[in-house]
Amino acid sequence: MQDYTEFIDQIIVDEAGLGERVADLGAQISRDDAGEELLVVCLLRGGITFVADLSRRISLPHALDCMSLSSYGVGRFTSSGNVRVNLDLMTNIEGRNVLLVEDIVDSGRTLAHVLDMLRTREPKSLRVCVLLDKKERREVDVQVDYIGFDVPDKYVFGYGIDINEHHRNLPFIATVNLSKYTALSE
Amino acid sequence: MEIYESFLAEVLIDPETLQRRVGELAAEISRDYTGESDLLLICVLRGALPFLVDLMRQVTVPHAIDCMAVSSYGAGARESTGNVRVALDLQTNIEGRNVLLVEDIVDSGHTISHVMELLNTRRPRSLKVCALLDKAGRREVVVPIHYRGFEIPNKFVFGYGLDLDERYRNLPFVGVVDLEKYNSTR
Repeated sequence: MQDYTEFIDQIIVDEAGLGERVADLGAQISRDDAGEELLVVCLLRGGITFVADLSRRISLPHALDCMSLSSYGVGRFTSSGNVRVNLDLMTNIEGRNVLLVEDIVDSGRTLAHVLDMLRTREPKSLRVCVLLDKKERREVDVQVDYIGFDVPDKYVFGYGIDINEHHRNLPFIATVNLSKYTALSE
Repeated sequence: MEIYESFLAEVLIDPETLQRRVGELAAEISRDYTGESDLLLICVLRGALPFLVDLMRQVTVPHAIDCMAVSSYGAGARESTGNVRVALDLQTNIEGRNVLLVEDIVDSGHTISHVMELLNTRRPRSLKVCALLDKAGRREVVVPIHYRGFEIPNKFVFGYGLDLDERYRNLPFVGVVDLEKYNSTR
């Protein structure tokens, strides 16, 4: 495990920027669903920091549930396959207003599969909130209702997003200097 | 007026006190694991989520995080004496790792005790428990709690990860429910 200061490229969203944007998203969701009751779904593990902070900024009564997914057979960078559910929702979402919370959307394939799967359960509404949107990487047209930040197609870490399982706890989002990181890992 | 105010008997731990104590626990953990590079924090879903997120942000030693979801076989939600069913197992192999199990609350201790037995069969280097709330008066089995946030009385509490019929996990404080008033609101 390396000290992140040895491979960080730059901070693209700082702690204050994150705090403000998460508060804005929480307020917007609270307005849009005023009078309704929500189920907030956290996609593990990257989404946990975002969901914990976002949930505290949603002023409506809401429940919280978690899902853990993986892709069949393919690597982390090319998730094109079907989705395997490691942990399904405890909650029956039929007739519920569901807000799916993700740390990052890139190709959109995993998200599209999850949405298809959840729609078969006939929720009243199904919306998506992502903290980071890597639009350049999009391969399928996927619904995203709330976006924290558009980010470039670079390897990012911090605020729930890991690099080799570490540094999820950093309060900001930064890009990795891959050549430095690779050199350090060798 | 917030909906929960109608059945909130008292605020047991206010947000400032909570955050201060989380900071103290994180400092203690960081001191104890200084020089160890393989600390793994395990979040026991779903109640421990806000606590884990706030805690890990202040833990300064390198660490990874993982999640586990467990449920009890057969017994009721409020008196779990049965064996533990693993709904979501760890992605991480904990053999030889320093593991810190993070819990929102320990009451009878049966669940956490079963989880520890199960994890110990995998031969971690160390296995400790960090619990935000300790309802010591309800304890039925001995559970070593190495890091304890607060010892609390035997009252029905909610907020900061603890739900009341799945709601209010997002509240920034720990409150006591007036059950009579709560039941009359439903």
